[in-house]
Amino acid sequence: MNMSRVFPVFSVAFAVLYVLSMDNNWALFTYLPRSREFYPLVFTPPTPRIGPGMYWYGWLATSAIGAAIVAAAASCGPASWAGRHWSSLAWAVPLAVILVIVYILRSWFIRVA
Amino acid sequence: MITTLLIFHGLCAVFMLGALTHQTLSVWWPATAGGAGSVFHSFRAVRATAYANTVVVLYLLTAAMGAILYPTYRIGVRIFFEDLRLSAATGIFELKEHFVAVGLGLLPAYWYFWRQPLAAETAAARKAVTALLAFIVWYAFIVGHVVSSIRGFGP
Repeated sequence: MNMSRVFPVFSVAFAVLYVLSMDNNWALFTYLPRSREFYPLVFTPPTPRIGPGMYWYGWLATSAIGAAIVAAAASCGPASWAGRHWSSLAWAVPLAVILVIVYILRSWFIRVA
Repeated sequence: MITTLLIFHGLCAVFMLGALTHQTLSVWWPATAGGAGSVFHSFRAVRATAYANTVVVLYLLTAAMGAILYPTYRIGVRIFFEDLRLSAATGIFELKEHFVAVGLGLLPAYWYFWRQPLAAETAAARKAVTALLAFIVWYAFIVGHVVSSIRGFGP
């Protein structure tokens, strides 16, 4: 296993999978805080009385499992994949993801047509 | 119980903020022999590698406490903000939860780049990842403080 890319690859994959999960709501499970119940995948409460559903934990789980699979697959790849590229991507991709998240959530701060 | 947890969450964040700020400044603005004696020199002249494991543990601990507190925010605070149409307050907290998640994913790379002995070829990545993590922690800390101040304690 090539450790020089397992950890950076995990970080890159996690950031990409996280922004995809939150934007497309790929939650592995849903938590209902009012009733303290967990549901598999995305569960939309049928009535407002039940309270809101929380997907953040599910997005984290989706991203962590997905990133672990990607990192494990990358560690088995050819040695030529290693090198400085992953080191640079390990901070450049999360930084780009942060900017994408700001863009996605811009409607909280400005009127979006 | 929730208030106690919120205080411990904040205290862990303060410790992490201190460690990460020392570490970030020490790699971006290393101490030189010339300024010895000044407070700024002392602030930067730390053994940055000593902070890495502590930062990882504190980040995980603070995020875990935040995750436990989050449902209370979701049903007790966010709905209050929505009723008052404080969309910016809701928005900055939304950003916080996502930034913290990105930071969680960044921890393995951060830990790897700070592993002893430090590799010279990852020096630039080490500086960048540390700065990014410091930005996330500073943002999360300030937003957490602002949101707590808007809502206040108690039911």
